[in-house]
Amino acid sequence: MVVVGAGIVGAATCYFLSKRGFRVRLIEAAAPAAAASGAADGAVSVASKRPGPMMTAALAGIALYRQLEQDGLFAGLFKSRPTVMVAENEKEAERLVEHAAALASEGMGLRYFEGGALRRHLPGVAPHVRLAVEVGEEGHAIGYEIVRRLIAASGVTVERGVAVTGLGPKDDGSGATAVRTALGVVEADHVVIAAGGGSAALLGLPHATQPRKGQLVVTERSPALAASLPGSLMSCRYLLSKDAIRVASAETGRRFGLVIDPLRTGQFLIGSTREERDDTGNDHDAVSRLLASAVKLMPALARLRVIRVFAGVRTATRDGLPIVGRMPGFENLLVATGFEGDGICLGPLIGREIARMVAGETTELDLTPFAPGRFELRSLVA
Amino acid sequence: MDRPADIVCDALVVGGGAAGVAAAVELCRAGLNVELVEQRPALGGAYYRQPAGGATATRPGSRRARQWSRLLDELRGAGVTPRECHVFLGVDTHGLALLDDRKGGRVRTVRTRAVIVAVGAVERVLPRPGWQLEGVVTAGGLQMLIKESGEAPTGSVLIVGNGPLTVALAADLARLGRPAVAVIEAGDPMTRPSAALRMAAFPGLVAEAAADLTRMHAAGTPWLRGSRLTTITREDGRLLASIEDRNGASRQIRADIVALHDGIRPNHFGLPPTTRDGLVVLHAGDCREALGVSSAEADGRAAAREAVALLSGAAAQRHAPEVTRQRRVQAVLASLFRPIRDDGGLAALPDETVLCRCEGRTVGQLRAMLTEPDPVGAREIKLNGRFGMGPCQGRFCADNVQALVSAVRPASQTVPLSRDRWPARPVLISALAAEEEAREE
Repeated sequence: MVVVGAGIVGAATCYFLSKRGFRVRLIEAAAPAAAASGAADGAVSVASKRPGPMMTAALAGIALYRQLEQDGLFAGLFKSRPTVMVAENEKEAERLVEHAAALASEGMGLRYFEGGALRRHLPGVAPHVRLAVEVGEEGHAIGYEIVRRLIAASGVTVERGVAVTGLGPKDDGSGATAVRTALGVVEADHVVIAAGGGSAALLGLPHATQPRKGQLVVTERSPALAASLPGSLMSCRYLLSKDAIRVASAETGRRFGLVIDPLRTGQFLIGSTREERDDTGNDHDAVSRLLASAVKLMPALARLRVIRVFAGVRTATRDGLPIVGRMPGFENLLVATGFEGDGICLGPLIGREIARMVAGETTELDLTPFAPGRFELRSLVA
Repeated sequence: MDRPADIVCDALVVGGGAAGVAAAVELCRAGLNVELVEQRPALGGAYYRQPAGGATATRPGSRRARQWSRLLDELRGAGVTPRECHVFLGVDTHGLALLDDRKGGRVRTVRTRAVIVAVGAVERVLPRPGWQLEGVVTAGGLQMLIKESGEAPTGSVLIVGNGPLTVALAADLARLGRPAVAVIEAGDPMTRPSAALRMAAFPGLVAEAAADLTRMHAAGTPWLRGSRLTTITREDGRLLASIEDRNGASRQIRADIVALHDGIRPNHFGLPPTTRDGLVVLHAGDCREALGVSSAEADGRAAAREAVALLSGAAAQRHAPEVTRQRRVQAVLASLFRPIRDDGGLAALPDETVLCRCEGRTVGQLRAMLTEPDPVGAREIKLNGRFGMGPCQGRFCADNVQALVSAVRPASQTVPLSRDRWPARPVLISALAAEEEAREE
């Protein structure tokens, strides 16, 4: 088995394949969690999802985190906490009520807070906040910690700094797949491409994915203030921002989806922008606007200091759904990419499901909405 | 799109010490519109650090004071009004320089064509078991405190380390009537006659050193050369330093404050390294090469000339004979103070020694990470190992972490624990948050 990409999806695939007794090689162009997995906000969350395949997947993803934490694999790495969605004006409140109704229709347990109850439950939020909806049973995990744990538990040594230059079937018609790398051709019974933004070009899926940058901010420690929040605060504008992208995906503008996440360390992680770009720089304009929104929502943040800013590039798809499954015409070539902002939540789950596919079993999660065949393919064999 | 910048100028000079002031003067004389910013409440840098809030100067009427007032006169003559209490945070990805105006409580953006970074040197302090304890400070930091307050700190001081600054601090303490308990020196200049002879070529320096030594000696501060500190512990509310001499014999010295110093090096931390995207970025003075004040002033002027040439599209070369001269001085001083024994450096430190003081990460934790079969990279050492991830963001530990990585894994190519993102210093959210909040573009 060859897995290309040591982000969270590749690491999880490597772990679940190894656990089944397969001999796995994990090939990575840079280093583990070097791209999006190492710059993610770490949300293991369903709160912003609408009913549909992504919500189903997110719920299964969260359940797997819980199970792996109990099993010991993720011990100490999964922080269970709710997401609190907040509406700051009438328009947002309407949108939130609508969204909450959709979540409730899927049987999710929600708590609504208004007026005095809201003030008591969320003493740190600004008085203008009208409505809060708490989505329980969610959590937070740090991508690079999960990746490290998965790789260590798999017993596989990552082949670092090995770029994959191309793919194709073996000449002998055996059905095996060959991976061309800078260090030579690697043959395998199965090849799994989990190379994030690099996957589409390798697989001959031009334009199926696009980079979407996010800038984030980390504060100094403030354990008392962090403890005053029951979980992460998510501005409802996050939902409106997602809507906007669905309407005009080719737009080049910048959107802000504010999430204020209190970390285990007592620090706050504040994110993030959604920009149609693929660089990882930070600009004052974006960071200062993001922080202004954060302070408006939670005024006490103003007295904390920023110690670090960073940025990551999500791999988004044209239709907002990830690309997971067998490549049409290539029995032994599988792909798992395009998770945009859900890689941390879905990575372990998808790794488990890919391992099932490789083993010839039926997947537990219905992966047909994510099938790569929905995109136009370009021949892989030049 | 971005809002317009708060400040627009031809050149931004960061740092109001000798190099920065000299650079600002020369840029102005060349007809450029210059902004000079200084993070402290007053210009002066480390060498010309000014007394704060009505305190009296420690060395009034000296050659030092006269040189500084000459530089200030030049600055006034050039018409530069410096901005004090402005901390440089870096250059953002859109090419805007960012300043934290600590008095105004706002981050100011600067659109400029050139940045001259003249932020001086930083003190080298090597980790030692117990150096994270309260009461352990740096000798240079203590010297700055004395220059600003005009007073000695409360409690007895033990000075430990390597290089001439330790003696200068002992002389300052003696001058204030509060002599240090002792100065522990890893080198032994008395046993380096050839270097001492070469010192004779620099009479000004010899006179200054002799004066400091005489004052320290007269105050009864012992100078324990060829010795090193092995551990610091806390006992009955005081610090207990274990000292080992050149023959391996140990003794213990009690003090309220232990001031460490292992030399100085250029400050490059979190600063834009070079010219990029059309923005000219030059480094000047001790932050380019730590050679002291007279070299810094000369290099500041030379950097300004280089910037003017670059901005007019001409080729440019830095030329300053004084820099070459001071490089020779520093070479002589380095051989004079070369440590008597090789104590194994960082590689010899016990596992429990704290390496990152912000997050309490130890030498042993880094060693464990480095001896895993998977050769972790710099980014993983930071993210997973939590080295350089605290409030200082590696300002105080990155070099030591780097050195230990090289010592444990000499074969691997050294990957720097990079710190190329703004903010170079922690900055208040209230100062950084925009007046208007996020909006869709």
